[in-house]
Amino acid sequence: MSRASLVLASELSGRPVVSIDSGNDIAEIRDTVYDSHGNHLIGFTLNKRGWFRGRCKQTLPIESIAAIGRDAVIVEREQDLIDLVDAPATLTASRGSIPIIGIEVMTQAGEQLGTIDDLVVETGDEPRAVGFRLSSSGGPVFVPISAQMALSGERLLLPAEADAFVRHDLAGFGASVGDYRSSLDHATERDDLTWAPPSR
Amino acid sequence: MGTTVSLTQLKGRRVVATDDAKQIGQVEHLVLSRDARSVEAIHVAGKKQHADIVGWADVSSIGNDAMMVTSATSARQPESDADAEFVTGDVVIIGARVLDTEGDEIAMVTDLQFDADSGVIVGVTTTTGTIDANRIRSLGTFALVVDPAS
Repeated sequence: MSRASLVLASELSGRPVVSIDSGNDIAEIRDTVYDSHGNHLIGFTLNKRGWFRGRCKQTLPIESIAAIGRDAVIVEREQDLIDLVDAPATLTASRGSIPIIGIEVMTQAGEQLGTIDDLVVETGDEPRAVGFRLSSSGGPVFVPISAQMALSGERLLLPAEADAFVRHDLAGFGASVGDYRSSLDHATERDDLTWAPPSR
Repeated sequence: MGTTVSLTQLKGRRVVATDDAKQIGQVEHLVLSRDARSVEAIHVAGKKQHADIVGWADVSSIGNDAMMVTSATSARQPESDADAEFVTGDVVIIGARVLDTEGDEIAMVTDLQFDADSGVIVGVTTTTGTIDANRIRSLGTFALVVDPAS
């Protein structure tokens, strides 16, 4: 059973990548790659370990991760890292991708909440991106990620229902994310009901 | 299965060749198999300058006062990268961090027990208790990787 918790993507930088088959630290996390169109975590770029730090020629797709823990990111085999040349374009493309840091976030009511300064990642054995941390004049703000968001190169527009799940600390946000998901699930269930065949 | 030997007790014990009755050095460290389930070789420190490793097959018995090896010529240089990592200290046993497969550091290794006849690892002693050998997945430059306690 995984011990999932929430961390900021910036805190993952430098975390060692360890393979179960060797016990070796084969790389460390450099940067988090987030697909702003599909609203999900794609993987990580890597740095080398040890004295000769610097960009690693390999990359770590999210599918290869066995777990993200407090002290290491775990893969099953050393070969689970993928050479940059073989990696999906989304993991390596610097052109065409939108840097989400610094983007303005607004509610559908037209209220500005702040600008994105970090990504909130749920760890454990099924890691995923669950929110953004925003910087605002009133301090940090956490907003949930949902498929209903609209993102341009300039701003992120939150769906109306996300308003209720905005939090000012990561701990409160953790509880809020669960509530937010279940509220979306309930909405889906209601949709299903409207499509159910009428009873006779 | 024979008697169980612990690494801390073994460290520093004399290594003696049975063919010429000469001491070739003393036990410095163990070299474990890639899956860290058995002893593959003994790292011998001491008299022979360019021979550091005695393969497990050449160990004839482990006594209370000395480890007996079949021949004075059984000591050799590290052959593989894995051998070398143990000899250079890139991979340590005592003092190694214990990482579970969820990515959490759970302890530090303080000792290791193995069967004197087969060389099979029986268990690992850590700062937070004993870990059964069947939880071990690997030992490398970063950690002893183990399955989480069930």
